[in-house]
Amino acid sequence: MGRGLKGLLLIAIPVFLVGWLIIYPIFAAILSTLFFDGPEGLRFSTASYQFFISDPYSRANLALTLWTTGMCAVLLLIVGLPIALYLRFSTNRFADLVQSLAIFPMFVPSIILSYALIRTIGPNGTVDILLNAVGLPKIKSPYLTPWGPVIGLVWDHLPLTVLMLTAGLGSISNSAIEAARDVGAGPLRVFWHIILPRMGNSILVTVSFTILGIFSAFTLPYVLGPASPEMMGPFMLRTFNALYDPLNAKTQAVISFAFCLFFGIFYVWSIARNQKGQSR
Amino acid sequence: MNRREFLAAGSAIAAASALPSFALADDKTITVFSSSDNNIIDFWNNTVIPAFTKANPGLKVKLASGGDENGVRAIADRALAALKSKTDPQVDAFENFDARLPAGAAEAGLWVSFSAENIPNYGRINPQAQNLKQELPYRGSQVLLAYDKTKLDPKDAPKTWEQLVAWIKKNPGQFIYNRPDKGGSGGNFVRRAIHEVNGRDPSKFTISNYSADFAEKSLMPAWAALKDLAPFLYEKGAYTSGNTQSIQLLSQGVVTMVPVWSDQVLQAISQGVLPETTGLVQLTDLALCGGFARMTVFSNGANKDAALKLGNFLLTTEMQSAIITQIGGFPGVSWDHISTDLREKYKDVVPNSIPTFPGGDWNSAINDGWYRNVATGLARG
Repeated sequence: MGRGLKGLLLIAIPVFLVGWLIIYPIFAAILSTLFFDGPEGLRFSTASYQFFISDPYSRANLALTLWTTGMCAVLLLIVGLPIALYLRFSTNRFADLVQSLAIFPMFVPSIILSYALIRTIGPNGTVDILLNAVGLPKIKSPYLTPWGPVIGLVWDHLPLTVLMLTAGLGSISNSAIEAARDVGAGPLRVFWHIILPRMGNSILVTVSFTILGIFSAFTLPYVLGPASPEMMGPFMLRTFNALYDPLNAKTQAVISFAFCLFFGIFYVWSIARNQKGQSR
Repeated sequence: MNRREFLAAGSAIAAASALPSFALADDKTITVFSSSDNNIIDFWNNTVIPAFTKANPGLKVKLASGGDENGVRAIADRALAALKSKTDPQVDAFENFDARLPAGAAEAGLWVSFSAENIPNYGRINPQAQNLKQELPYRGSQVLLAYDKTKLDPKDAPKTWEQLVAWIKKNPGQFIYNRPDKGGSGGNFVRRAIHEVNGRDPSKFTISNYSADFAEKSLMPAWAALKDLAPFLYEKGAYTSGNTQSIQLLSQGVVTMVPVWSDQVLQAISQGVLPETTGLVQLTDLALCGGFARMTVFSNGANKDAALKLGNFLLTTEMQSAIITQIGGFPGVSWDHISTDLREKYKDVVPNSIPTFPGGDWNSAINDGWYRNVATGLARG
């Protein structure tokens, strides 16, 4: 009993902070977009949601956000998985170098990354200069197109992806792989039948984690992306700040939150499933 | 340090932090918020504040960036609430603000009315810059067009809106401006288009004559004109997300011409960000908009008198010359109060008149209208 109370006291502060700074604002925002003070008391209205759904401009912004998020998640897996596999199974010194390189983007603030990307893959940037030097044509610059934020976000989220996938791979025992090799399985078969089924959970966690981060991205889409359609992050800020329209900004936030909630539940579900599996 | 000393020091620190007004009683700190770009913040921190504290021992200045205009507007809202409840607004002055905001603040007496009595240098202010009694115009800048002289001969540079449009259409992909809410250079380019389709008469628009109908009628033709221009811009209608990014594209030789703030471009040239071969041109049929940065002082601020001293200091010959030489701005005072050699050197950049566009509700109408009507439906790559 006494220990239980102590435990509750230990978690009281974080729980209080989460309730005060996160849970309460969420419910306050949702309620304030649905209930309005009128002359005859509280009034219920979904007008701002109807506006969002019927407004092609807002819908285009949401579609671009979903497209960017999905594209980034796919690209991150394609880029991150080979690096994670290499780090898991390689034992030489070179792997340390690869690991520190893969972690490096974590320490670069995204605003600096944005301007650096304009300088390198932007028009007449470093890549163009190098291509020009060997007589090749310039690249079609992704700057100010939807691909600009995609490239930036993939770079920015690579460390977290690699770290989580490597952690997932760590739980695969060497003996299982060696056993498969002994009966003559090639590398591809080992990957497909031994590794992949065992890391499904960590892939799910990685994907939901990166999606949560990218959905609400701000700096990279703001600086590198097109003026229109824009991602939800810059769109919300602009609605609130430049159009003095807190109601629609909150509506956009609630809709973004609903999408993130879906992936959040997914994440919590896979964590819970994992823990249940371990305790068994 | 023994235990007793430690306790004494600790309680002294605790007392000092608990009673900030006591601590500041004989060493006043003027709290100023700025909505300006970093070049202005740097100018204040490196030039204005050291010179002011040297001239006024015992006074200190704390300059904080409020982000953008909306950021400091939120602080003004709170100061107005503090005025009504007679509490300390914890701010003394804004570096650059429109005293017409927030609505009703000027009538309620939130802002100090400036005159020769509280600002001895008040008479020096350029009459063209003067507007409201509650605003102290101390520096100006204007949007003009910067171009690459190696690609465009200065004698062919466009001098009117029509010539500019013709040039953009003849040279597709060589012009870009930033999104109007993300920086004044693109914002005032958009406003120049609004002036163009409304008879080039800036006096048609005031902060109080805004109405949804009038905005619809006056802005729609401008959106049509800008949309017509879009296919000839960089990437067939891309827009940078700020003043700096436009300058970056010009410096990388991607485009030939961009609208720029006069002070930012002069600084960029002097720092070597833009080459010496950068040309500057202003439209002569009606100049691109610009304006003066206007300091405002809170009447309910705790250090009102010190803030007025700071306002007066900004209008001294020393500071006004620094505005020209260090940040490439226009002085807020008449040119008689500037040294003769500076007057001679910069006479070409000094405008005869600076058209302006009102803020307030017009801002949101222009920002929303531009995104919905001009920025959409781009051919994306």
